[in-house]
Amino acid sequence: MPLLWIPLLTLVGTLVPLLTASRGRLFCTAATAIVPITALALLLSHLPILLDGGTVSQQLSWIPLLGLDLALRVDGLTLLFGLLILGIGSLIIIYAGYYLSSSENDGRFFSYMMLFMTAMLGIVMADNLLLLWLFWELTSVASFLLIGFWGHRSDARRGARMALTVTGAGGLALLAGILLIGHEVGSFALPDVLAAGDQLRQASTYPVIMALVLLGAFTKSAQFPFHFWLPHAMAAPTPVSAYLHSSTMVKAGIFLLARLHPALGDTSLWSISLTLAGLATLVYGAWFALLERDLKGILAFSTVSHLGLVVLLLGLNTPLAIVAALFHILNHALFKATLFMSAGIIDHETGTRDIRRLGALWSLMPITGTLTLMAGAAMAGLPPFNGFLSKEMLLTKALATDLFGGLGSVIPLLVLVGATLSVAYSLRLVYCVFFSPNDNPPEAAHTPHDPPKGMYLPGLMLACLCLLVGLFPMTLAAPLIRTASIAVQGDNAPLFVFALWHGINLPLLMSLFAILGGITLLWRHKNISSLASLLPAPNAPALFEKAVTRLIKASLWITLRLENGSLQRYQALLLLSALGMTALGLSQLETLSGNVAMQPIDGLTLLGASVMMIGAIGSALAHRWRLVSLLMLSMVGLTVSLTFIRFSAPDLAMTQLSVEVASMILLILALFFLPQRPPRWVSSRRIVRDVLLAGSLGLVIAGLNYALLTREVLSISDYFLSNSVPGGGGTNVVNVILVDFRGFDTLGEITVLTLAGLATYKLLNRLRLFKPSGNIEGIRWSRHRYPMILEVVAQIILPLALLVSVYIFLRGHNQPGGGFIAGLITAIALLLQYIARGYEWTSSRLPLSYPVISVIGLVIAVLTGLGSWLFGYPFLTSSFGYFNIPLVGKTELATALLFDLGVYLAVVGATLMILVNLGSVTTAHRPTLKTTEQTASKEGNK
Amino acid sequence: MSQHLLVFPILLPMLTALGLLLMGQVPTTLQRRISIISTALLVVLSGVLLVHANSDIINIYNLGNWQAPFGIVLVLDRLSALMVALTAVLALGCILFASAGDDGRGSNFHGIFQLQLLGLNGAFLTGDLFNLFVFFEILLLASYALLMHGGGKARIGAGLHYVVLNLVGSALFIIALGILYGATGTLNMADMGYRIAQMDEANAALVTAGALLLTVVFSLKAAILPLYFWLPSTYASAPAPVAALFAIMTKVGLYALLRVQTLVFSESPAIVYIDNWLWWGGLATLLLAGIGVLAARDLRTLVAYLVLVSVGTLMSGAGMGHISGTGALLYYLVHTTLIAGALFLLAELIGLQRGKAGTRLVRARKIHQPALLGGMFLVGAVAMAGLPPLAGALGKLLLMQAADSAQRL
Amino acid sequence: MELLFSLVIGVLSASGIYLLLRGRTFSIIVGLALLSYAVNLFLVSTGGLHTHSAAVIGASAAPADPLPQALVLTAIVIGFAMSAFMVILAIRARAELGNDHVDGKQGEEGSTR
Repeated sequence: MPLLWIPLLTLVGTLVPLLTASRGRLFCTAATAIVPITALALLLSHLPILLDGGTVSQQLSWIPLLGLDLALRVDGLTLLFGLLILGIGSLIIIYAGYYLSSSENDGRFFSYMMLFMTAMLGIVMADNLLLLWLFWELTSVASFLLIGFWGHRSDARRGARMALTVTGAGGLALLAGILLIGHEVGSFALPDVLAAGDQLRQASTYPVIMALVLLGAFTKSAQFPFHFWLPHAMAAPTPVSAYLHSSTMVKAGIFLLARLHPALGDTSLWSISLTLAGLATLVYGAWFALLERDLKGILAFSTVSHLGLVVLLLGLNTPLAIVAALFHILNHALFKATLFMSAGIIDHETGTRDIRRLGALWSLMPITGTLTLMAGAAMAGLPPFNGFLSKEMLLTKALATDLFGGLGSVIPLLVLVGATLSVAYSLRLVYCVFFSPNDNPPEAAHTPHDPPKGMYLPGLMLACLCLLVGLFPMTLAAPLIRTASIAVQGDNAPLFVFALWHGINLPLLMSLFAILGGITLLWRHKNISSLASLLPAPNAPALFEKAVTRLIKASLWITLRLENGSLQRYQALLLLSALGMTALGLSQLETLSGNVAMQPIDGLTLLGASVMMIGAIGSALAHRWRLVSLLMLSMVGLTVSLTFIRFSAPDLAMTQLSVEVASMILLILALFFLPQRPPRWVSSRRIVRDVLLAGSLGLVIAGLNYALLTREVLSISDYFLSNSVPGGGGTNVVNVILVDFRGFDTLGEITVLTLAGLATYKLLNRLRLFKPSGNIEGIRWSRHRYPMILEVVAQIILPLALLVSVYIFLRGHNQPGGGFIAGLITAIALLLQYIARGYEWTSSRLPLSYPVISVIGLVIAVLTGLGSWLFGYPFLTSSFGYFNIPLVGKTELATALLFDLGVYLAVVGATLMILVNLGSVTTAHRPTLKTTEQTASKEGNK
Repeated sequence: MSQHLLVFPILLPMLTALGLLLMGQVPTTLQRRISIISTALLVVLSGVLLVHANSDIINIYNLGNWQAPFGIVLVLDRLSALMVALTAVLALGCILFASAGDDGRGSNFHGIFQLQLLGLNGAFLTGDLFNLFVFFEILLLASYALLMHGGGKARIGAGLHYVVLNLVGSALFIIALGILYGATGTLNMADMGYRIAQMDEANAALVTAGALLLTVVFSLKAAILPLYFWLPSTYASAPAPVAALFAIMTKVGLYALLRVQTLVFSESPAIVYIDNWLWWGGLATLLLAGIGVLAARDLRTLVAYLVLVSVGTLMSGAGMGHISGTGALLYYLVHTTLIAGALFLLAELIGLQRGKAGTRLVRARKIHQPALLGGMFLVGAVAMAGLPPLAGALGKLLLMQAADSAQRL
Repeated sequence: MELLFSLVIGVLSASGIYLLLRGRTFSIIVGLALLSYAVNLFLVSTGGLHTHSAAVIGASAAPADPLPQALVLTAIVIGFAMSAFMVILAIRARAELGNDHVDGKQGEEGSTR
């Protein structure tokens, strides 16, 4: 039977409860419980091989790129944990079937349980470290769901969040550790890693690897100081606690330590870390268990304490100590699951878990009392229960250890303290619930009594096991522990004997002392709790929440600091990055100027350059006097178009000129609606910074430009020059490039224009703009809105301009000109009508929908491009021919002309769409409610 | 027809957009239907392209029948096919969501949405640097329009920052283009890469300057430290379906970076600087975005920071300059883009059910569908955090391992 | 000549950048216009500075590089579209935010960093 079936079965099992939930609680429970029982049977089918110390494994390649295989194994260690996960798991499912109230969503609950079970099985069966990590994280997620099952309760949410945060962080550390292991070993396959123990221990990264792995294990197994999440996970429904905190989740960390023992263990660093953490956890947990008043709280802290005990045993690092650790894992799971279950029963019956309000239940609930008594005795380490055996072994090993040299006696001493406390809190639990007189009973709806069979039988079974293992350890436990020990220690696995009676020796005396001490502590419990009230009690959730709040506050502070909402800062950062990066490139240039000789400067060019520079600087300096700034800008713009003529780019000059006119109209409109005099600038430091930034970036750009201008470059342009006429049918190479060689660019460009029009449409949606009544000095705008001269001139110009644009359009393919320029000229001529006559007058006479015009332009351009498909050529392939047209003579007709027509229409439509739209939203009314702006209020007063 | 396959992802949204815009005032239901059908067709088409690209031959389409490097070419390889497919799938989700009513809050939503897709697909497919600039402008302008869809103070304020920064970015883009054309004499990316490889050292420094400037421009779009500050407020204020679509916008920057990094500048001395910029910038982004997630006081802002987290992760992946980094990167990219998109949509749904509190992270009234929305959000969050059983865990693993093998750790 | 040309580009872009950083939408519009003049001049000059040699076949013996010119033409038109959008956005922003500061705040911008 392939191993894959085992986790697959439980995974499919997550669906079983969801599908059967409607068939009633009993059916659903039974159907769900069958799954782990079957899986257990599958696992046990490998028993013969395992008992011989063998290993069963199976490999499926999954993501080879990652080194992630679906590799599973079953060995002794897997068997031990698998038994606990599946065996106790199925018992708890049965128990939960009775525990959950009828209104509870049992389908969801069982589904989460099965998911969690799958994840745990995955961890213990994984034969690949990455796979192990995946399942490890899955347990965090599944436990989050389980602990937060009662999501309407805030303590449940908080507990779940805390558990997820702590174990999730640990999971990240573990991943890092695993990756480092993989780096060192060259493989993530467990057999390779386990075989490379010596290599790993000698690696320079060993301390880091170990620290990361331990971080993962300690957070999961609630070792001090990462223990604090565990008691708060008790907000979960009790079956969850019984499962997660007896046999599964918290044992995952211990499993990892045992699993990686051959690879990472056996160094003094390892031993010392584990011993220290284990000791601290053992004593700390036991002390707080003694002080707790909540039944589940006692169990939670005692779990912490016992986990510490196991870690301590692993840290003592002798073959027999490891055997004892494995044995105690089994024992702890048995008695702790029982105790949690009986805590659930008591809670269920009496409605409280506060031991001050419980008592004298022995006569009312004899069965529950019996099983609690048995499991409690096991936890206290009383003979003849199983807990006694493993505690004896611990005491023996603690006495025998040679760690810490001269301070070695601290270990047995602290272990003794832990054992004493353990006796005390176990007895206290049993005594207070069942035997002490109860002065303050909760008001229960009915007298507490023993629950239905289904609820106590699982616990009773486990309690009996505690006793039986104690009585017949060699038959019941030894083979299992022996195979597990072989899996962990290989050839070092010792032969051992579990026995109740070793004769009178020091460990026995210590046990005796612990029992007597425990009884004394219980007797003097009042004094102890008053002593404890003097000591500071750490309030874990408050501390955790405080830490989280502080973290969030710090994050907020950092974020607001960085992201202060200032565009000026973001721009400065962008420009600084650009400056730094280009300067970096420029700095590698040996000489700035290249080998091409400079051309002489002529006077006219110098004049133009001076005008541009003065205009630019002037426009920057006068930025608060906006009209002046704008005039300076237009001066620069006009000179730029002259520059284009000067340097042989007539098409550009024409385009620049017409764009300049259109954008000036737009800018003047903008100026009209924006405040004309912004408030004064104050910070001179800021000005210095900006001047420096702008200046140095300008310098770098100029430097780059100069470096380029003085270098010879072979460009692809000769091809355009030689193919323009034969391939494109036009002598104006710039236009042929635009409509033919790179017509795709042009298509994109008119798309941008049209989009800009549409976007402004959206922006002006539902916007009403108010005309300011006067300018900044308070002079009212002229009453004559449409000057007569302009009206006349505009009317005369219109046909002329249209004619010119037709001419420019037609000659474009051979002479400077083309669709763009023609379109802009047409647009400006039409615009002039709007300016001269107003929006209402013009639009009533020119009923044109500009969006439609520009879209039609785009359509024509696209369809022209598509036309080439008919002839089997790629999109936008042009063709041209010479035709004899009557009267005109021999004429060249090119599809490019059609394309250019599309461009023309798109440009006309889009330009007017933007400008006319802005005009149309303006109302002639004066504003009634002004904005808070200073200038605006000034205007309002006039 | 199949020889024209490469231009379909550009023509399909283009024709749809033109049709929608021409129809103007037809009922919204018809507009929705057209837009959805067209986007669904795009998904199918991108599937065909993926199959087509799944070979070691790089497909070229010569627009205007001019040979590269003289004309503009479209290039289809596995990477561009993947990006087109990712965009289509994400867009389909967004358009369906928007068709529930968000599209009616302003004019021409569907037409502009299709133009946005046109811009994205063009940017992914083009093999020409200047043409890339043109498509960048299309997709930016479309994104401006979509961002402002529905209006409102916050959108205009955040949009203003976004627009201004990108306009400055466009100016820098042209400078970078000028430097690169001036130094190499070509615009076709593959040809440029070839010429750079042949170049003497004197001009190589100029190429370095251009390459690094281009890196800054693309980094602005990809939103990496110190150029990401515009993103959280912009994405958080955008209409939900638009924000979800924007999950792909940062990836355009990333894609452009990957393209120039591998195709154009791989032989240039600039590559060292680019890799380092991406690696350290990516890591710093990752860190600060993580802090931002913690600091978020609004669900949408939180998701926006999650987008930044993924950007940081992806950038550092790209900065490894290592082939295994790229493989891991793509895996993670697909996953993170779709999840981020879904989370934006989900945040909107959650906000709608919380009354006045909206998406702000404060106590508010109960939502109607706690199990459904909560469960979906949990799945999204688990996926984003890279926890099993979702694919994000594998992506995280892949990237970390790639970092390890690229000797970056 | 080349040096002068570069100088002009440097001054134009520096002035434009200075204006960009002024934090007012109008200054930004003007700054962007200046910057785009500079970058257009930059781009067109990458084909070299030619006198009396327009790229028209038959008009001159050694025509100027036509490709950068075509690119700049596209860039000018795109720039126009963008600045038109920006102008409308500025007007809208003033209407929505109440002033023309880019961050929608008034007064204290000089003191914040």
